[in-house]
Amino acid sequence: MVDGLDLDVPAGQIVGLIGANGAGKTTTVECIQGLRKPDAGQLRVLGFDPVTQAGQLRPLVGSQLQHSALPDRLRVAEAIDLFRTPRARDGGELLERFGLAPRHRSVFSSLSGGERQRLFLVLALLNRPRLVILDELTQGLDPAARRNVWAAIRQLNDEGTTVLLVTHEMDEAEALCDQVTVMRAGHVLDAGAPADLVERHASTAVIRFSMPDPPAELLDQVRRLDGVTEVSRDGPRVTVRGHRRIIAYVGAALVRWEPVPDDLSVYVPSLEDALLDLLNDDQRDQPATASVNSEMIGGRR
Amino acid sequence: MSTAIGRLVRAELRLMTRDPLVLTFVFAFPIVTMLIIGGAFGTRPDPAFNGTNPSHWYVASYLTVVIAATGLVMLPVHLASYRERGVLRRFAAAGFPRWSFAVAQLIVGLLTTVVACALLLAVAEPVYGIPAVHDPWRVAVALPLGAIAFVSLGVLLGTLLPSARAAQAVGLLLFFPSFLLGAGGPPPHVMGSVVKQIAGPLPLTLLTNAVRAPWLGLGPATGSLIGVAALTVAATALAARRTIL
Repeated sequence: MVDGLDLDVPAGQIVGLIGANGAGKTTTVECIQGLRKPDAGQLRVLGFDPVTQAGQLRPLVGSQLQHSALPDRLRVAEAIDLFRTPRARDGGELLERFGLAPRHRSVFSSLSGGERQRLFLVLALLNRPRLVILDELTQGLDPAARRNVWAAIRQLNDEGTTVLLVTHEMDEAEALCDQVTVMRAGHVLDAGAPADLVERHASTAVIRFSMPDPPAELLDQVRRLDGVTEVSRDGPRVTVRGHRRIIAYVGAALVRWEPVPDDLSVYVPSLEDALLDLLNDDQRDQPATASVNSEMIGGRR
Repeated sequence: MSTAIGRLVRAELRLMTRDPLVLTFVFAFPIVTMLIIGGAFGTRPDPAFNGTNPSHWYVASYLTVVIAATGLVMLPVHLASYRERGVLRRFAAAGFPRWSFAVAQLIVGLLTTVVACALLLAVAEPVYGIPAVHDPWRVAVALPLGAIAFVSLGVLLGTLLPSARAAQAVGLLLFFPSFLLGAGGPPPHVMGSVVKQIAGPLPLTLLTNAVRAPWLGLGPATGSLIGVAALTVAATALAARRTIL
């Protein structure tokens, strides 16, 4: 169920729709494509109503749908012929670009999961759409194919095509999207540029290092650094948490102490952390349970 | 053909030739059963068959078996399987007009029927001979009307039934009683009164009667023809309303 969704996809941008399973992402894109009729509300895609003006809208939209297929015995090149309209690009070139040219005589049922995904992408881009809707774009692709597809999406966007990307892959949303909308149970939890979402919901960086006997003076100095919220110690192991700017400050403080630790690790928050923070909102109302094994040295929240 | 329908028809026909076993039911079943039943009652004119040669009675009856097999079994299973697997969603999302797939199936279904009927007659000719057509105009009207009616029914069933397996079960359930009571089974004269009453209004009985009676010179069968025409209008209208995409 999708309720009270306010989604604005500015022309020429790559907008991501992310959220937990069952958040309503696929329902939303089905409504946008006119494959499902909303019970209420107003929906305009490229100025058209997706249900009553489907005939005008659909030729302008390219879709790579989740849960869809082609006839088993249809060959790759025949799929291009079947789906091409007079405004289509060169199908052979697209097949080449997505590594499917050697498979152009293969039937759909013989393609691997990744090859099917790439074929759907080719079909989505075939007719020079103004809006491309990609639902779980890189599911089943190997890392090299993913990077290849990402590059193609960026190039497509550079050419002026608007992209709506539904994904579970946060690195994909972070790498590609100008704007991201986070959904849960049919509602929008927050929206904005990936960096802004990370800033709002997951700005805490975590730095860890070891020293045989961490000097109290150093730990006190670190605790007083701008942005540090917590410093904890577990034997020789020190953990510092705080805003991302502490990474530079802690590094600068450590180089003044010899010998510098050789196991310094830095965890920088990502869009995935922001998403988890947003999705865990409900749990926050419940009493917090935490097991703390380390000795709390200092903290400011 | 570069229109959406043209591209779909071309693709569907190509796929059909690539998977000929799918057509077995439509092509082989009517021929095999016609050969068996047609030979069971001999070739001497029989009062149970309105005084006609029983083999000719069945040759004139079995074209409608082809039509029913296409409409009640082949098409619903095909369409339901496409819907179940998301093929129709892909066509819809790709901008194929809402009615284009239904029209393409109508064309493919009619072409299949024509080829299967021609094959049936080609097999019947050397074995039993093809009876002379007494009233070719009525036969020429009834056959295409019936084909459109049953293909539309097939499209309609394909849109209503949730899966290919459900379509197969329901299709066969509709087909076999219709086949036994209205086309390929015993002649109406040997049926009990209750069975005859049940068989009379069945769509396949009406169509078979509208084809067989004028073919063998057993009467114009105007009532049956009107029934077939009404069925054609209703089935086509309902199939058009339930557009698949």
